[in-house]
Amino acid sequence: MSSAYEQPLLLQQRGREAEEEETLAAITDNADLMAEVLGRLDGRSLAAAGCVCRLWAAVSRRESVWEAVCGQHVAGGAAAGAQARPVVAALGGYRRLYRLCLGPALDRLGAGGWPAARLSLSLSLSLFSIECYERRLGRERGHPLPASLLFLGHGNPVDVS
Amino acid sequence: MKRDHQDIGGGRGGYPAVTGADNNHRNSFGVPATVAIAEPSAVTTASSLLSSGVYDFRPIPPPIPASGSRGVYGADLPSEMIESPREPKRMRTCSSSSSSSPGGIASGVMGLSTENASSAKSAAGLPVVVVDTQETGIRLVHALLACAEAVQQENFKAADALVKQISMLAAAQGGPMRKVAGYFAEAIARRIYRRCPRPGSDRAALDSPALDDLLHVHFYESCPYLKFAHFTANQAILEAFASCRRVHVIDFGLRQGMQWPALLQALALRPGGPPSFRLTGIGPPQADHSDALQQVGWKLAVLAKNIGIEFHFRGFVAASLADLEPRMLLELESGNKGDRGDDGEEAVAVNSVMELHRLLARPGAVEKVLGTVRALRPRIVTVVEEEANHNGRTFLERFTEALHYYSSMFDSLESGEAETAEGETASAAEEQQQHRAMAEAYLGRQICNVVACEGTERTERHETLGQWRWRMARAGFEPVHLGSNAYKQASMLLALYAGGEGFRVEEADGCLTLGWHTRPLIATSAWRVTAAAAATAAVTAAVTTR
Repeated sequence: MSSAYEQPLLLQQRGREAEEEETLAAITDNADLMAEVLGRLDGRSLAAAGCVCRLWAAVSRRESVWEAVCGQHVAGGAAAGAQARPVVAALGGYRRLYRLCLGPALDRLGAGGWPAARLSLSLSLSLFSIECYERRLGRERGHPLPASLLFLGHGNPVDVS
Repeated sequence: MKRDHQDIGGGRGGYPAVTGADNNHRNSFGVPATVAIAEPSAVTTASSLLSSGVYDFRPIPPPIPASGSRGVYGADLPSEMIESPREPKRMRTCSSSSSSSPGGIASGVMGLSTENASSAKSAAGLPVVVVDTQETGIRLVHALLACAEAVQQENFKAADALVKQISMLAAAQGGPMRKVAGYFAEAIARRIYRRCPRPGSDRAALDSPALDDLLHVHFYESCPYLKFAHFTANQAILEAFASCRRVHVIDFGLRQGMQWPALLQALALRPGGPPSFRLTGIGPPQADHSDALQQVGWKLAVLAKNIGIEFHFRGFVAASLADLEPRMLLELESGNKGDRGDDGEEAVAVNSVMELHRLLARPGAVEKVLGTVRALRPRIVTVVEEEANHNGRTFLERFTEALHYYSSMFDSLESGEAETAEGETASAAEEQQQHRAMAEAYLGRQICNVVACEGTERTERHETLGQWRWRMARAGFEPVHLGSNAYKQASMLLALYAGGEGFRVEEADGCLTLGWHTRPLIATSAWRVTAAAAATAAVTAAVTTR
């Protein structure tokens, strides 16, 4: 049998491959690096990326990633972002903000030919705050869905909730 | 009476019915021969009344004379009536190019242009019936106007017959026009039989403020008018409160408080940090004595706490705004004199969304309320009102105005829905439909009030922006321009609405209006006390405190 001679060769090969694999895996295994990368995607791609594996799913659920995604589309920049963070967190978070308000709004505006970059953060946050308030009202009345955002349309096929 | 006809004819098209091709034989109000006949007696009653001259038609020049071959009514009518008493009216067409307006039948009705009549003439006596939506819509409108005129002349028998005809015509019609006609027909019937719904009657349960609030919420959710109102008013208030550390908003109609989460959020995020916020909400007495105001206040307080704003709430129950005294609202401020400290004086904003017009039912009430507002020394007063004159002197004026206004409203409700059907889940679309139905019921109640009620019960006394400007100026207020931020926000909000191409945001002398196609339907304006009025008030206050 050749195994007696081959085994050490194979072990050596496997060792080298393992080393290479380790180097390659390091980048995508690093959650913070992934967060940086994923934060530059658009909403749909990010939601799709969350379906790849558990690590990516966990990273794609981070608020900071969605904050970066929201920040791409709104005028105002980083300064507004830092102040807005606690408020948005209190209202339900950036992921929810994108899913309920920004995403559908961008779709709607994009379809209508508006330059999407001019979407104002304050408008989205206003709508978001109304939704949050209505959700609390609705809980008392037993309504299933707050309806104030129905006009934006919620037929998104990729819905990572 | 001729004058009334002219008024209608001038801007809006011919009256009576300017429909039907020459080859279509119609009876008096355009009910096609095949359809008429559930109540032939009613029809002949109407026509016999007509031929007896009680219901006298005057010749009116057709609005858009397209061809010279059309006759003039007056000349033809008497001879026709003599010739064929069973078919007293054969209306000459005044044809013009049919307006294929995107807004559906209602817009076509607005211009009251008629279908392009096919020129083929049939032999006399052979009815050729062409039932066409636009035509039936126009006939419907004319029937409604004829009925209103009958009511104005107190010719209730004719009016009653016409109401039945309207119901039949409406059934043959589809879309928003059918619903509008239905509500108007019901309202006229109520007026004829004096069955105006009044609070305190056995219908009290159905007219309760709670039901009104529920319908109001659905109206809020199904169309952009109230959102537009809230966003533009909030923008004005936000700008007026810039760099104030203590703010006080007085809401003349709190309802569910849907306006305030957005303002709270905007104040929380403004550069320089949030102020301390006080809200005074005013609402009507509830039938079941529940404390609806406090519940709303509580919900807003929870939201405010979550986003980090110091929040205080006070609710006032008042059957009418005129019952409020400045002392009651000012007392609150003076009671906190202790903790003013370095924060300075409280900045006050008064907000009224579709509340002021109710005061016009009682003489002197609106002046009193505006005086109260002045005494509060507000930084800004935001007023949102329906853009229509439903408070004209004669019933017919009000009816005609209301018909056009609500036709546009219903039309806009309908269109928004058709567009959202694509890409929506079935349940979402269904929910949209439910909201729309409830919104229509909400508008139906307004229609009923405008048409069927009189005196102090007629509270839906809408007036136009021009009229409110005059009133506010007389009460010592000067306009504050709403600014481009409000305009941009409103435009963007409307862009988010599917079917939003029909909506128009317009700026008129610093006020913003939202309308459907060419018709403005709701107007937001902002005001502050003029320096002169403030000085007078200060003097008066100084005198009274001595």
